[in-house]
Amino acid sequence: MFVGGIDLPDEKRPTLARAIEVAARPRRLLVPLAPCAATPAEPAVKPGENVQPGQCIGIARDCAGVDVFAPLGGRVESICTVAVARWGSFAESPAIELADLSDPAGIVPPRRTEAPDEPAGRDFDWQAAGDDELLARLAQGQLTTHRFRPQPLAEFLARARAGKCRWTILNVLDHEPYVSSDHRLLAEFGPEVMEGLAIVARLVGSRNIIVAADHRRTSHYQSCDAPAERFGIARIALPHKYPIGADTILTKVLTRRETPPGQSPLSVGTAMLDAPTCLAVYQWVVRGRRVLGRVVTVAGPHTARPGNFWAPFGTPCAELASLTAGANPCAAGGPEPTLIHGGPMAGTLCDARAVVTPGSGAVLSLEAAHMPLPGPCIRCGWCMDHCPARLNVAMLNDAFELSLVDRAALGGALACVECGVCGYICPARLPLTQRVKQLKRQIVALRRAAAEAPGAEVPPARAGQPAGAHGSHAR
Amino acid sequence: MNPDATTSSQDRTHAGATVAHVHDSPFIRAPEGAHTVFMVTVFAVCGPLLGGIVLFGWRAALVAALAITSCVVTELLYYRVTRIPALLGRSHAVLTGVLLALTLPAFVPWFVPVVAGAFAIIVGKAVFGGVGHFVWQPALVGRLAVAVMFPALLAISDARFQHRLPVLAQNRLLVGDVREGTFGNDIAPWRGRPAPNGKDAFLLTPPAETLRGLTDRQSPAYSALVFRPDEQLDAKPAALLQLPPMENLFYGARPGSLGETGIILLVVACLYLIYRNYLKWELPLAMFLAASVTVAVAPIYLAGPNNTVRTFWLPLLSPEGLGTALTYVSYQLLSGQLVLAMVLVSVEMTSRPVTTGGQVLLGLGCGTLAMLLQLYTTVPIPCLMAVLAMNTLTPTIDRFWRPRVFGTKHFAILRGQ
Repeated sequence: MFVGGIDLPDEKRPTLARAIEVAARPRRLLVPLAPCAATPAEPAVKPGENVQPGQCIGIARDCAGVDVFAPLGGRVESICTVAVARWGSFAESPAIELADLSDPAGIVPPRRTEAPDEPAGRDFDWQAAGDDELLARLAQGQLTTHRFRPQPLAEFLARARAGKCRWTILNVLDHEPYVSSDHRLLAEFGPEVMEGLAIVARLVGSRNIIVAADHRRTSHYQSCDAPAERFGIARIALPHKYPIGADTILTKVLTRRETPPGQSPLSVGTAMLDAPTCLAVYQWVVRGRRVLGRVVTVAGPHTARPGNFWAPFGTPCAELASLTAGANPCAAGGPEPTLIHGGPMAGTLCDARAVVTPGSGAVLSLEAAHMPLPGPCIRCGWCMDHCPARLNVAMLNDAFELSLVDRAALGGALACVECGVCGYICPARLPLTQRVKQLKRQIVALRRAAAEAPGAEVPPARAGQPAGAHGSHAR
Repeated sequence: MNPDATTSSQDRTHAGATVAHVHDSPFIRAPEGAHTVFMVTVFAVCGPLLGGIVLFGWRAALVAALAITSCVVTELLYYRVTRIPALLGRSHAVLTGVLLALTLPAFVPWFVPVVAGAFAIIVGKAVFGGVGHFVWQPALVGRLAVAVMFPALLAISDARFQHRLPVLAQNRLLVGDVREGTFGNDIAPWRGRPAPNGKDAFLLTPPAETLRGLTDRQSPAYSALVFRPDEQLDAKPAALLQLPPMENLFYGARPGSLGETGIILLVVACLYLIYRNYLKWELPLAMFLAASVTVAVAPIYLAGPNNTVRTFWLPLLSPEGLGTALTYVSYQLLSGQLVLAMVLVSVEMTSRPVTTGGQVLLGLGCGTLAMLLQLYTTVPIPCLMAVLAMNTLTPTIDRFWRPRVFGTKHFAILRGQ
């Protein structure tokens, strides 16, 4: 296990046992042309054109991007700008606006009905195909990973193959409160996800394939047992101490290897996957269908009808929350709920223009009154006790208040996994997570500046005053 | 969706500046705030305080009330006068007041706790910037101030009662006046001995004072410290024969300050705070171990038979045997303010290091220094002074003790990284 961590309230009960439903038809879709952090794709359609479901509407400009497809049929209204979540903040991306949409039930992948060994209904026999053939087929699919920071699956696979990964890990822990989308996906599409995982693991070339699940939910995953046996996948139940689903922490728990600060688990030979990606891989490789939506948990204390919903990519988050979850019960005089994109611990405040992308696992409406005023640090040390990266967060907070970026770098700020435990536990209600994230950004910017100008001056010890710094004197 | 929710809101911070504060993850918060932390600590510390009130009578309650009131009123006045917005102030002021009361004896005049409280808040806390910024435990600063200003009032200076201090008799608990005292038998058990007519308290030699006689030749107890191997079956330094039974020390039936005597209550309060995660067990344990080892190996001067001075009595290597050595060590640990300093004073959040390793360092330093001061000097509050002295090093320890960060190599500081 890992040092630190915390038991969070689970809060998943309303959504845990409900089957995934199809979200109501949105008025329009704003399909982002840059779902991954890359150059936006070139629009392939013009306003006024009619598109079919699954039609290509954007062509990638370089290998870091992916082609974009229309999740639903409809009419191209215009090309506008939306916000796409990446690494805990929102970035702008051009998008194609679709109106007069077709029925959203079309994005739901069909269940596998045939017996496991029966080849009927399969377009492609991946077990008989060679690696190159399989890679070529995957590359045609233009899939992305569905992580916190989505990236093209082809790029991910190339890096994983170059890194000689010994482990392929499917992370279905859903460790954040309220969020249960991966759990529902594995419970309902277990065999498909297992087969998709087996396909990716074969391409990565790793011997150890592991499914890491929450120990409280394993009884829901019985449909995975037979396929897992067949593909040699180990199923491991893990305890629910909070940031166990963070990539680096899960790598440490399962492989005993610690990821160096600022790098991804690929650097220690671990390919970390998620359930929606595996499902998309199965659907494309075996069935020849693209999954152009994802399961999003819509929940929170202000939601009338919480649940998990299939939402096509490009659904505006605010519309998804109001359409699927019913009217806001607090609209009559209650406190205004705050929309959160992602889980309550590591998510971000939902931008007004935010849309569903491969990285959106949840849209939650929480109470705005939950954000208390910060006070002075009382140096209780709980942030450090519970930090899974063992950072001295109190010291980093001092460094932030005094704008000592180099001291923060010395304190190892880059190892932060941005799980949000320090901000959760802080009795002084300091925005610790936010401050450490800001320090990380400054350190990365300084290092990049130093790397771009070799032989130039050493980066200054004091960077510019951070926005939140105020003259309080720390020790 | 409300567009205002994505923009920033205006928050007032403790520095008084109004800054834009964008709400960011996490969006849920643990229920325990700083105010809760201090009030729960006050609740835990009330156990030893009530024990002190029972053992030392209504005067103890008066001292505690004065100390708390003085701290809270000083805090309010300070922030009213300086116009600095005080967050977290009042609950921590209450905690400081209670801790201060625990370090004061019950027989002091009314102005001693008042002055101590004012000093604790202004000199100990407010001038450093309040909670989170002070260097020395504020209650100890107040206690040190009155120890310097009124040394005579903190020990009853009557010539007849010299070096004797009062403790209530068993039949006058809670209601007795601790200043109405008569001579008591130092080495008799406290239980089952009612006070004589008209008197409430026994005047006893504090066991710490008797023990100090082992090393301090100016002490009046010194003359009694000759070895008497002929008269006793087990040869002990005679000072050990002048000490009260160990059970008295556990009840708290010995002269001392309000909170320092009730060992059992202190340990219970400590365990509760450990259970609540408000203090780490490493710090008290390190302090206790360091103090035990220091006492066990520190050589002391000792008077031998026929008043010859046997220099360098090494407790663990003494010819009197291990039993004598362990008895001596236990009395040294339990007869002073060590337990109070260990479980309630040194663990003050702001004045201890943040890291666990740093806290162990602090505990080792506190324990060693406390016992050295108790053995070899005549300072009035050796253990509390040791905590104050080690608090000075806290920022340094915090700066240089860096635990290994996830994904980096061990001993980064030695590798110069």
